[in-house]
This record gives sequence, C-alpha cells and structure tokens, in this order.
Amino acid sequence: MIKIDLASFLPIYEQIKKEIKRKITLEVLKPHEPLPSIRDLASELIINPNTVARAYRELEREGFIYTRKGKGCYVSDNSASLIKKERDRTLNQILDQVIEEATKFNLREEEIKRLFEQRLRLVMDEKKKGGRDE
Amino acid sequence: MSEILKMQNLNKRFGRKIVLKNFSMALEEGKVYGLLGKNGEGKTTLIRMIMGVIPADSGEMFYKDKKINFNDSSYKKQIGYIPEDPFFFSWMTIKELLDFNSSFYPSWNFRKAMDYSERFSLDKKTKIKHLSRGMKLKLGLIAALASEPQLLILDDPTSGLDVPTRQDFLKDIVRELSDAGTTILFSTHLVHELERIVEHLSILHGGHLILDDDYERVKDLTRRVRMTFEDSLPEQIEMGGILSELKKGNRMEMVIYPWDVEKERKLNMFSPLRLEVEPLSLEEIFVSFVS
Repeated sequence: MIKIDLASFLPIYEQIKKEIKRKITLEVLKPHEPLPSIRDLASELIINPNTVARAYRELEREGFIYTRKGKGCYVSDNSASLIKKERDRTLNQILDQVIEEATKFNLREEEIKRLFEQRLRLVMDEKKKGGRDE
Repeated sequence: MSEILKMQNLNKRFGRKIVLKNFSMALEEGKVYGLLGKNGEGKTTLIRMIMGVIPADSGEMFYKDKKINFNDSSYKKQIGYIPEDPFFFSWMTIKELLDFNSSFYPSWNFRKAMDYSERFSLDKKTKIKHLSRGMKLKLGLIAALASEPQLLILDDPTSGLDVPTRQDFLKDIVRELSDAGTTILFSTHLVHELERIVEHLSILHGGHLILDDDYERVKDLTRRVRMTFEDSLPEQIEMGGILSELKKGNRMEMVIYPWDVEKERKLNMFSPLRLEVEPLSLEEIFVSFVS
C-alpha cells in the first residue's frame, strides 16, 4: 500500500517516488518485480494518472526502475544500491555543513569528533527510551 | 502541447451586471483544469458559452485553433458535458435516452455505454423520471463518456450527492483519464475532491481569472506563516503578496503568495519567538484568493 498525504509539503508525485524507494529499500519490492500499473495506482489512490506517470518517469530517469514496452515498470537490478548512494549523498551534504560550521568556530578534528559522538550517544539513548522531546 | 480550447477577451453582461470582463483562458490537451469561483462569479455562464447555449457579447473562442461561431455545433460533438442538473426527457427509458444520444455522435461507443450501464447496475428499462439524483449523474456520465469526448466539461456535477457516490464518480473520472487521456474542465465547489486530480488551477473572480497556473506551482508558492512574538506584534509588516492576515494578542497568521526564502528571512528580522511555515490545502488556497 502506498500512502499519500494531500496536506504535505511534498507534491503527490514526490510522495509516490519516496514510497516506492522505501519499498525497494525494505525489499518489499525486489529487483525485476513489477510496479503497480499507472492505471491501477491512480485508481487505488484516486489521483490523476498523469501524477503517477510523472513519478514513474522520474524514477526511471534516475535509474531506480525500468520500463518494458507495453508491459509496465519494473524495479532495476541496482536500485537498492542507488538508493543507498542517494541517501549517503544527502547525509554527507548535511555533515559537510556541520563540519563547515565547526571549522568556523576553530574546532579541531578531535573536538568535532567528540561533539559528534557525544551527540550521537545522547540521541540514540533517548530514541531507545522511546521518543525524543523536540 | 497544443491547445484544445482557447477563449480570448470574452465579455458578457446580464443587464447591468458584468459577468465576464475581458476573460481569457487556454486549455492544453490532456490536462485537468480546476475552475473555481464563488457562487455568482460566472462559472456556469462561461461553461454555457463554451457549449454554445448563450452567446458572448464580444470576444472569440477557438476549438483546436478553429474559430467557433455561435450556432456552430460541429465542435460540440467532441465535447462531453455534465451540468449540475442534467436535463433528460423524463419519459424516456435509460435505453431510449442512450439510443437517442448515440444518434448525435459519430464517435459513439456502444460497448462503453453498455459496460458502464452494467457497472452502475442501471436497469435499461427504467424510466428516467424514476431515477435518483445519483443515478441521473451516472447516466449523465455514461452519456458524456460514450461519445468519446476529447474535452470533458463538468459543471459542479456532484453537488448534493453523498460522499460514496462522489467518490465513485471521481474514480470513474480517474479511470477515464487513464484510458483516454481526456482533457477535463472541472468546475466545482467541492474542492477537496478536485484536489486529487487537478493539474491546473484557474480562479474566476470579478469577471476574469485572478489565478491561472500550474497547481503544483501554486501549492508550492502559497504558505501560511504563523508567528508568535514576545509581547506585542510589530507595527506593520511591509511585504508584497499578503493575501490574508489574522492578529490575536501576541500571535499573527498570514497567507502569503508568492512565498520564497527571502520573505522568510525578512520576517525573521522582526525576531519572532516562533515562526512556522506550512502549506495550504486547495480549499484554503481558494478561500485566501477570493476573500
């Protein structure tokens, strides 16, 4: 089941992309397995088929899925590793920003590491306790 | 993409009331257009002009680049039209009505008419005067879709119907979109249904379109900003695009279009304790633009 939220910041086609990538990561959708047809997914979610088509088109362009003419869309062989790469890229960008900010404060490498590890332990502990206050 | 319907500088008045004033709009093939406007803003008048029911006082209309003259009915064979209260000869049975309609359309799809009738469990021998409002809508949908229209015009067809019936109707429209890629002009005041399928948003207000843009773009550029201040609110916030403003104690709320990060930066300079930015639903966007 793909869920969409009309109240979200994210456009519907982005939500569909995200949900499909999540299913690929969780191996609910495995390589070479078919995606629901545009018609079926549009009917199920009661949304414009052009929106589903746009999500699929972008996923294909980004290499996560491929199309077989007249048959539909399938999960690419290397989709899971592509998603991991994409995830790493996003996280690295955030880390770069943190490092950039830290060097502005003249922090040395060890200090940045210490801060990061301290924070990591704190956040993880609180997650274990169940939920973290904002 | 090519234009299926174009209206240029349409004017229409009823007595002293100006309904349309230099109204222009173009519909690209294969897209779903949402036409919104408060009651009495002239949506139905506009649609009836497209359908050749009433003439414009001035201005031009084109169907696929061909100029439409009033009384010219050929282009109408390519348009499916479901008005709010479809008129059918009440003494006819469903079968008689569909047969009657089929004679007007060279492209009539008998198979489709039959499939839909079966799916809707419409008994072909039932007289139209015995149909409920929901059943009439279904019949209207069959009549409109069986003609294989290139453009489907819906004038508030689901008003007064219950939620499941409206949901079914929307599902049928989605199916039609998948199978035929029909262009749709959907006028409705049940906005959250439109929200699921709309691609282009047009808001009619004061005789012309005050908004006519890609819906994703509109959604992306419209934001509600909530700010809380330490004690009093700033005297005045000078900023373009404030559609609405609400103040209460040390809190204020604004709807801003078009929104951008520069505006967020500007607002932060008033040093609010808290600044929240959130997207709006289609219904909220509509209300913000017309109030």
